[in-house]
Amino acid sequence: MSISKTKDLLGQLSQLESTVSAFSFEELNADQANELKSSFNSFRTSLEKHIYTPNMDEIVANKMEVTATNQQDISEKQFITQVSHEIRTPLNSIIGFANLLKEEKLTKGQHKKVDAIQFASNTLLKLINEVLDYAKISSGNSKFESVDFNLHSLLKDVMFLCETLVLDRKIELLIEIDENVPKIITGDPSKLSQILLNLLGNSVKFVERGFIKLEVFTKQRNDNAFLLEFSVADTGIGIPKEKMDTIFNGYIQAADDTCKKYGGTGLGLTITKEIINKLKGNIEIDSTVSKGTTVRFRLPYLQGNIATLPNKSIKKAKHNFKTELLAGTEILVFEDNKMNECLIVEQLTKWGCTVHVDTDLDKGLYVLSTKKIDLILMDLKMPGQNGFEVSRAIRSHKNAKVNSVPIIAFSADFTQQDSEKCKEIGINDFLLKPYTLEDLQTTLLKNKENKIEQTEFLSILQKPMIEPKETTVVDLNLLLKDCFGEIDMLSQLVKLFKINAIEFIGNVKIHLKSGNLKEIGLSAHKLKAGFAMIKAEGMRKLIVELEHSCKANELEKVKELYEVFLNDYPLLEDNLSKELEIMKKK
Amino acid sequence: MGKRVLLADDDQLLASLLNFRLKKGGYEVHHSANGKEVKEYLKNEMPDIIVSDIMMPYFSGIELIDYVRNDLKSKTPIIIISSAGNEQNVLTAFELGANDFVTKPVSPTELLVRIQREIYK
Repeated sequence: MSISKTKDLLGQLSQLESTVSAFSFEELNADQANELKSSFNSFRTSLEKHIYTPNMDEIVANKMEVTATNQQDISEKQFITQVSHEIRTPLNSIIGFANLLKEEKLTKGQHKKVDAIQFASNTLLKLINEVLDYAKISSGNSKFESVDFNLHSLLKDVMFLCETLVLDRKIELLIEIDENVPKIITGDPSKLSQILLNLLGNSVKFVERGFIKLEVFTKQRNDNAFLLEFSVADTGIGIPKEKMDTIFNGYIQAADDTCKKYGGTGLGLTITKEIINKLKGNIEIDSTVSKGTTVRFRLPYLQGNIATLPNKSIKKAKHNFKTELLAGTEILVFEDNKMNECLIVEQLTKWGCTVHVDTDLDKGLYVLSTKKIDLILMDLKMPGQNGFEVSRAIRSHKNAKVNSVPIIAFSADFTQQDSEKCKEIGINDFLLKPYTLEDLQTTLLKNKENKIEQTEFLSILQKPMIEPKETTVVDLNLLLKDCFGEIDMLSQLVKLFKINAIEFIGNVKIHLKSGNLKEIGLSAHKLKAGFAMIKAEGMRKLIVELEHSCKANELEKVKELYEVFLNDYPLLEDNLSKELEIMKKK
Repeated sequence: MGKRVLLADDDQLLASLLNFRLKKGGYEVHHSANGKEVKEYLKNEMPDIIVSDIMMPYFSGIELIDYVRNDLKSKTPIIIISSAGNEQNVLTAFELGANDFVTKPVSPTELLVRIQREIYK
């Protein structure tokens, strides 16, 4: 069942594909445009691979027939999890970039097209969510909605999306709704729009000139039960007779020749037919080569009630972003996918946040201890690093400034086990990819408030315990004199000093791995002078000791001293920044 | 035109401070962070004074003195910057013809006085 739903995705996908390729990328910089396109392509390829791997359907079908034993249950879930991750991650980028695009200065036409991308990708997301809903899969119920909806506005939305697809072609889009078609009906609106988009999308593909026409009328009526007939007619290339028999078996053909044929053979029709059958309707096709094609389908609906329609104004109020609340928030993001990094940095920066991105635990810890980080966003499934382990290391860090920062994990898939692990480690919240801007914002705000409470608590606790540690003391007065009192020069030197210290940390990290004490000694030697300049006598002594230990080839001692350095340096840098700030004010 | 100082030091922090102070003192400064570059520079131009760190990548301060005195046959004053506890290096430098030295951490004021003394000797 899940696999047939996955197949449904393809119809949406081809829709999204045409939209993405029809989009004019002039207003984007080349990188963004390429990212969007390549993201889409990788998305498509991975989806196709999963769906069209020969026998995959059989395998899953067999599994479904045999009453599920535990083992089968597990492997099925694994399969779904894998697909889920691969689909969600790129879809996240598509939705995210579309959102960002909308905030830029676009022409009217471009704006419409971005709307179309959003509409299509949101539909796709909805479907994916259904496919991946573990509860539904394990209970084996494929549910169809039965809600009241406004048929006319659904048709309007669908036509609008098609219009954006044919903007640059000489095609007339026509719609005719018979008077006797009720406005409000009860049924599954998302399935209907999916069917219509599949059919209209096919027409758009094959029509060069002429028209595409959607007609709707009531075929039968029995009290409040309707049988509606929809027809999509076009002046496209048509379908040869010999192919008419197999047209609804598109995906069997595609299985032989996987992706190639899928592009043009109306695979959408197979999907469409499946859905229509499930909705207890029927479909037929009529076509003449080089004249055109007409597809008719009939679906049963019930008369709907206008009073039960969801109130749109409530929905709108929800989308009112309170971005000003996030301004000034400093966020550390652990993410090693360039695309996602680019996306999240842009999103957060737009809201006035300061963003640091790291892939590496050590660098991250360094940022955490030297900057005032309000929140951590953690990608759990980074290829090179395990987000759980990174989170664990942060939580078990000695420095309260580091270990108390709220962590929000995000991932494209998330199991019950993951959730327990998060709790155990102390991860505060969770975002499932793809997330909407609203999701992201709500989660950030919620956890930022947590942080405020936490820090107040911590500062009360810590105040009486703070005693200046010798290794963290600095004095910039002499250096300021050397700079003839020029604060800008002093700032520049402090900045250089910090860079040197970071380089030192990096160098030691590399050379500790290979046990190259000579290089570490050299690095320590270079750093020493800097500590002398800022009168950090305690830390300078530690570095001198470290340099000597290197010369004496005492690896364990070097490691020990470096640990102390790593722990104390951030505090020293804090003091350095504070003192500089005070001097600036004077 | 101010007197020209060649500052050879790979410690960006110290070099920045010295550069700043020398310029304030009316000197023209050419700063280089590695020995190779220093050598290239000296092929075309001879400054009024050279200030060099002993430890530098590719070409040490000691080699630099040797190069200036023996290859280029120049008597341009050279002040070396040495780390504390590196007395042996300082002695070698003097043997090869260095004029003066300062020890890290360097006081810019002290270095300026020494530079002035060497140039106007």
